[in-house]
Amino acid sequence: MGAMPSVEQGTAAGAKKRRVGRPTTLESGGGSLAAILSLIRNGVATTRLDIEREAELGRAVVSDRLATLERLGLIEEGHLGPAIGGRAPRHVRFRAEAGGVLVAQVDRASLAVGLSDLSGALIVEHHEAVDLSDGPDAILERLTVLFIWLLDERGGKSRAWAIGLALPEVALIDANDGDVFNAAGLDVLQAWRNFDFATELSLRFGAPCWVRSNTQMMTLGEMRAGGARGFQDILCVRLDRSVSAGVASDGRLHRGSQGYSGLIGHAPTGEAEDITCRCGAKGCLDVVASGEALAREALAAAKDGRSRYLAEMVERQGDVTANEVSHGAQLGDAFCAELLARSGRLVGETLAPLVNLLNPAVVVLAGALAHSGEIILAAVREAIYRRSHPLVTRDLRIVRSELAGSAELIGAAALALDDLFDLPRAREWLPLGTPRLQPSFVNFLATAKAQKRRPQASAPARAP
Amino acid sequence: MQAIGLGPHGERPFPADKLVLSDPEAERARAGRFAVAVVLHTMSSDWSRQELAGIVATLEHYDATIFEIVDCRFNKDRQNRELLRLANGPIDAVISLPIGTSGVLEGHRAVVNAGKKLVLLDNAPSGLRPGVDYLSVSSADNFGIGAIAAELTSPHVPNEGVVGILTYESEFFVTNEREIGFRKWMGAERPDATLVRGRFASVEEAGAAYERLLTMNDDLDCAFVAWDVPALRVLAAIKQGARTLPIVTVDLGDEIAKELRKGGPLKGIAAQRPFDQGAAAANAALMGLVGRSPPGWITSEGLKVTRENLDAACDALWRKPAPPPQQSR
Repeated sequence: MGAMPSVEQGTAAGAKKRRVGRPTTLESGGGSLAAILSLIRNGVATTRLDIEREAELGRAVVSDRLATLERLGLIEEGHLGPAIGGRAPRHVRFRAEAGGVLVAQVDRASLAVGLSDLSGALIVEHHEAVDLSDGPDAILERLTVLFIWLLDERGGKSRAWAIGLALPEVALIDANDGDVFNAAGLDVLQAWRNFDFATELSLRFGAPCWVRSNTQMMTLGEMRAGGARGFQDILCVRLDRSVSAGVASDGRLHRGSQGYSGLIGHAPTGEAEDITCRCGAKGCLDVVASGEALAREALAAAKDGRSRYLAEMVERQGDVTANEVSHGAQLGDAFCAELLARSGRLVGETLAPLVNLLNPAVVVLAGALAHSGEIILAAVREAIYRRSHPLVTRDLRIVRSELAGSAELIGAAALALDDLFDLPRAREWLPLGTPRLQPSFVNFLATAKAQKRRPQASAPARAP
Repeated sequence: MQAIGLGPHGERPFPADKLVLSDPEAERARAGRFAVAVVLHTMSSDWSRQELAGIVATLEHYDATIFEIVDCRFNKDRQNRELLRLANGPIDAVISLPIGTSGVLEGHRAVVNAGKKLVLLDNAPSGLRPGVDYLSVSSADNFGIGAIAAELTSPHVPNEGVVGILTYESEFFVTNEREIGFRKWMGAERPDATLVRGRFASVEEAGAAYERLLTMNDDLDCAFVAWDVPALRVLAAIKQGARTLPIVTVDLGDEIAKELRKGGPLKGIAAQRPFDQGAAAANAALMGLVGRSPPGWITSEGLKVTRENLDAACDALWRKPAPPPQQSR
């Protein structure tokens, strides 16, 4: 099985044209510009004196680089700091509004888009239901329409400095690899294999694109701005239509050797041994505790009279999902409450060995089921505390996501910005004022365009 | 029609009419004699009055007190100030309609930090955490309402016609959702149509914004206005000489109902159910106060209103008859 696409477009150094005479700051000062911007952006040093000390650069060089960054629109003078025996120092401020990051998440039944500023804060977001069986082309068109809508009157295409995209794990499996999942069970996602979303979006919006799995983006989002904010070792569990998990250790996202870490939905539970999972095994966590499993059980209960609430919902709308199970539990339906408690217990029992192995500081429960009320959270907690070693649970926090469905978008923005402002890359584009002009990325786009022209030109995106 | 829009953070919708307190919860709510403040963006619309009526009726049913009702007149500074003041007041909860997703975090955060329960209407300010800082957002399915408005607009759009979308300048979750829902329906059902957009900075400015939109698009065939109060300004501009085009809007207010009855340029209304939405917000606040987590995103489905079903619609939404024709101006 090949590696999951890790899209980091335009990383090769681009060729520079050398002019005659003494080089300007923009030609020679990329490294120090990037280093100083990093100090300001991360809040490490925001006065001239502090920047000189932290960057170990002289006053003249710092003054010159600050003037250049100001001219590029990346910083501006801010408020006065307290005076310590002399003139009050003037702080400089990173202009997060100088650019933006387009972010998107595609899940089995919904998609989300957003626009963040350069600090990673979402300015606007939108979520809507989709049908993945429409295929990746239709989803790409919808993302394009929504991205254009987001940028319209919010700075236009030039505001998009990067794109961050979260996709379902199975949509990222390489078609050339062995068929690790049961193809029949994944027929909806077959068309997604090898579909190069990143290049397509880069070509349409002229910005580099980063792709990770939904769970990995969610983990990053929760670590940056959600329930695990301020912690370095976390386990983030997504309880939705399927169950998956992300791990961060020492503040770094763990992706696994091939990028597929986190498929805990395929851990055996010892229950429901008569039900075959889409992976081909029987009794996986996904077939007994996921949103899909709950929907299946709920429909059966509605039909055989075990739940009056679910029967009423089936009569009213023809079908039930895990959403109705949550609603039923909140309204006091005993069957729905029991179903959620069972799901929570099985998830907790699956997580317990992982908690023993990883000793996380926080376990974050995210996804629609995690927000279904207290029942599932209490059941997961009880099972983890009962099945894990007291040493690893002594200070363990088990919390619900504080970002709901925005975690993946925030994670996608964080990932793209981390890489965009990483010193080797920033050194290359900073003198040009925008990563859209980074020479290696421009070369990448030219190559992609040429390759696309060769087989068959695709239809351009329709304006919204 | 099932609600189809998702919440501000992707939450799946919970139907407003299904949100009820259990008997033991109702008993605890009555015994609590809770005090609730209501902070609205405006009181100038019938939508606001209907929403408030739903809140008041529900709170009174559970012996809760309406401590204060604040009209922020679309002023973000005022909303922050009022919320900061209320945060220190003798209240248990605040039901607030944030004026936009940005600029009103400070006031709402103060309410949360003071330990009061917070229920939002329509908008969730960026930076407030769902289920942590606030209990729920109660709203209409505005994505679906946008689709209903598009459906009402479509018969008035000739082949390859031009449709104007006249919307609010501020970053407002519900007006964004309406616009996206409108565009999605048109894109799927009327791909021949061209959509153009105009914005108004304030309700008072909507008539001028309509005229600007006409100036920039002399081939405009009809217009969708984001809600009824600015739509009334557009209709007033038409009366004063601006070009007459078919108009479609959102929210069934008293004045706009009279306009629809007349059979003039107003062709249809995609209506919310503000009474139900207000009642759901009050129920969510009481649930939070008696220790139950209400659903994060509570919605009611929209209703397609034309001149033909106006009486039935008013009856269903207002629980009173539609304004009679003789009252029309």
